[in-house]
Amino acid sequence: MTAAATTMATSGEGVAARRASRDARIRGVAFAVLGLVAFYFASQSLQVAADFAFFIDRAATQTLPVQTTVGVLWMIAGLASGIVGLLQLARGAAFRWRPWLIVLIAPWIAATLGAVLAGKPANLSGMFSGSLEFAAPIALGAMAGILSERSGMFNIALEGKMLVGACVASVVASVTMLLTDNALLSTLVGIAVAMGASGLLGLLLAWLGIRHRVDQIIAGTVINIGAIGITNFLFLRFLSRNTEFNRPPSVQAMPIPVLSDIPVIGPIMFDSRPYVYVTYILVIVLTYMLFRTRWGLRLRASGEKPAAAGTVGINVLAIRYRSMLIAGMICGLAGSYLSMASGGRFGMEITAGKGFIALAAVIFGAWHPVGAFAAALVFGFAGSTQTLLAVLGVDVPPQLLNSVPYIVTIVVVAGVVGRVRGPAAAGQPYEQG
Amino acid sequence: MSRITALLRRGLVPLLAVITALLFGAIVIILTDFNNLANIGSDPAGALGGALSGVLNGYGAMLTGALGDPQKIGIALETMAPADIATAIRPLTETLVSATPLIFAGLGVAISFRAGMFNIGGDGQILVGALGATLTAFLLNGQAPAFVILAAALVVGTLFGAGYGFIPGFLKARTGAHEVITTIMLNYVAAQIVFFALRGPILRQPGSTAPVSKNMSAFVDVPLLINLPAIRLDLSFIAALLVAVLISWLLFRTTIGFELRASGFNMTAARYAGMSAGGSMMLAMALSGALMGLGGSFLVVGTVGQLSNDLAGGIGFNAIALALLAGLRPSGVVAAALLFGALSNGGKVMGIQSGIPFDLLSFIFALVIMFVAAPGLIRTIWRIKVSRPQPELAISQQPVASE
Repeated sequence: MTAAATTMATSGEGVAARRASRDARIRGVAFAVLGLVAFYFASQSLQVAADFAFFIDRAATQTLPVQTTVGVLWMIAGLASGIVGLLQLARGAAFRWRPWLIVLIAPWIAATLGAVLAGKPANLSGMFSGSLEFAAPIALGAMAGILSERSGMFNIALEGKMLVGACVASVVASVTMLLTDNALLSTLVGIAVAMGASGLLGLLLAWLGIRHRVDQIIAGTVINIGAIGITNFLFLRFLSRNTEFNRPPSVQAMPIPVLSDIPVIGPIMFDSRPYVYVTYILVIVLTYMLFRTRWGLRLRASGEKPAAAGTVGINVLAIRYRSMLIAGMICGLAGSYLSMASGGRFGMEITAGKGFIALAAVIFGAWHPVGAFAAALVFGFAGSTQTLLAVLGVDVPPQLLNSVPYIVTIVVVAGVVGRVRGPAAAGQPYEQG
Repeated sequence: MSRITALLRRGLVPLLAVITALLFGAIVIILTDFNNLANIGSDPAGALGGALSGVLNGYGAMLTGALGDPQKIGIALETMAPADIATAIRPLTETLVSATPLIFAGLGVAISFRAGMFNIGGDGQILVGALGATLTAFLLNGQAPAFVILAAALVVGTLFGAGYGFIPGFLKARTGAHEVITTIMLNYVAAQIVFFALRGPILRQPGSTAPVSKNMSAFVDVPLLINLPAIRLDLSFIAALLVAVLISWLLFRTTIGFELRASGFNMTAARYAGMSAGGSMMLAMALSGALMGLGGSFLVVGTVGQLSNDLAGGIGFNAIALALLAGLRPSGVVAAALLFGALSNGGKVMGIQSGIPFDLLSFIFALVIMFVAAPGLIRTIWRIKVSRPQPELAISQQPVASE
């Protein structure tokens, strides 16, 4: 099969196809090697117990125990890797391996977790729902990144816009709370104003890039540095002493009536803060809008080939301004999560690189909302695992886990696991005739 | 004469950019002066006057903090006592101390931008360079004379920085991975590496939980330029000036420099002329990283004396601002670094004396980049005709990952 696929490719389309089928072979072998590695690990840990459990209901009264050995988990991971490797070798370059890679990640994570826990029992429901909470701001930021980059604007300013959003949300919500004493209203007003502020920053970025033809990377750097400067300044000059202006109502978990009663899945997925639900909705809506509507087609055309889009009468610049505005607003929402949900108040540089991890998720997810969400989940999982391991007293250097998103991104951008290609015109100025 | 007018014309936009940014900073100070603004209803003139005097106090403290207090200089001239002289010249020497790492980093940014590479990874390369220098110093401690340790630390730190800068250059040349993405990610990885190393047995300060290494000034130090109490200015400043001359020579008087600039200016043309575009990328990034690493090494073995994971503290980012302000010329980098050094050193004094937080400077630096990069804004604000300066920078316009 492999040989057939190869000959077909070589006689067919020339260099590109040859390279694609060579890459496919390398990938297939790599998957198979991964499988063998997993089996080796399995042989080393046949007797080690893997004692997991999940909550069945929200009240956490009943648990679903999953008891096995680490060896079995490694065997599953190995088997899965082997199968994907074989599929890859059999199908050649036509094989859509990316979704399968995401499928593979699950058993590998389970086995690694079991190996790290080394027999200690652990309830994973909290960790999974924690991963979702952790992933929400990253995924939201990534949606903003996808929207702007698909329209042709390079956006490294996610971090700065999230930071400003976090600051504005906290201050505005606190002030509204002082004035009205209505937690829900204050939260909503805080989020709305934060979205407005970050949206304006998005417009500033677009204006600098489009009207003044400032390189979009430099413009993004301006916003990132400026956001750190102005929010730190505000914090030190004002908020650190007047703490009543930095005490927003905190956003709590809100179980969804019917869905949260689904056994096992309910407590993990539908008993979270509303931000998580907004993320689900946004991922679905954005996927539909980008790939199934005229609006999405025009937006993608502006990012891929603005000249062609302009020729058929699409107002490329208007699309870019609009998507930068919306992207900024989503960043503001993501920022408000950090100060009003997880942090409880605004603190200096509260984003701590989450905007850049969001950018990483955009690339890892190949500029697709679902892919970026999956990537955000993986990153969220890395963050949440850290908490679990710390609680259980397992000694893994946190620096290692902290570095995972960044290293993964470098590997992905470098094309080691197959090239991802961004929108062709992202970052290029466009002269509208 | 025409050279002077040319210089003035070239300097006009940067000068106005800095002035405008400082004015915006003043507006921010006034808008956040809630103590005074609270009275704006009852006593508008007094409120605005109070806010304005707050600005003048702050910027005044910045000025004396950066250049020196005339009163103290007067006293020093009268008594000529070493302690008085030290207090008088301390602000100026501290400005030069702040400017030194900025010169190294600014040169690093300039050389990479000249070759068409956006090195946003300055902070990471500074940290990794400093880590190399620190490890060398501790490993050689007690086994070699102090000057050997110093030299070895500087060399290893430079090499570490060069290696860390080479990674994104290599990835860009071989796989097309966008250097902006990789350098940003490598910044975070560097912080984690240093954090990890600080937990290790070689560097850890016993009994301390803060991520700070043991102090090494007892066995390795950069010789001071002026031997007076509390003056920290050392030879690294002279080294920075020499390196600036060297980089200027390299960029404008050698074939290598020509190739770097050519591939930054027009990569396709450079390739057709038989130059290796990939080689230029890697070389530029490695050189850039080396300069960052050297700056970080001087910082850690000299003025700071210990490694911490916030050692870089945004120097790599501020260097972008000043390199753009300098039009990517080494001489301009030195001038801009002196200006930024004065601003940040004065900014610290402003923070202590008038309670206006130092972080305002980051905001001002961001505005400086914005105005320099968008001279149209300056034109509109000041109603003048300025031509866009040509920094000979080919802005990299590739998609994030190549096909």
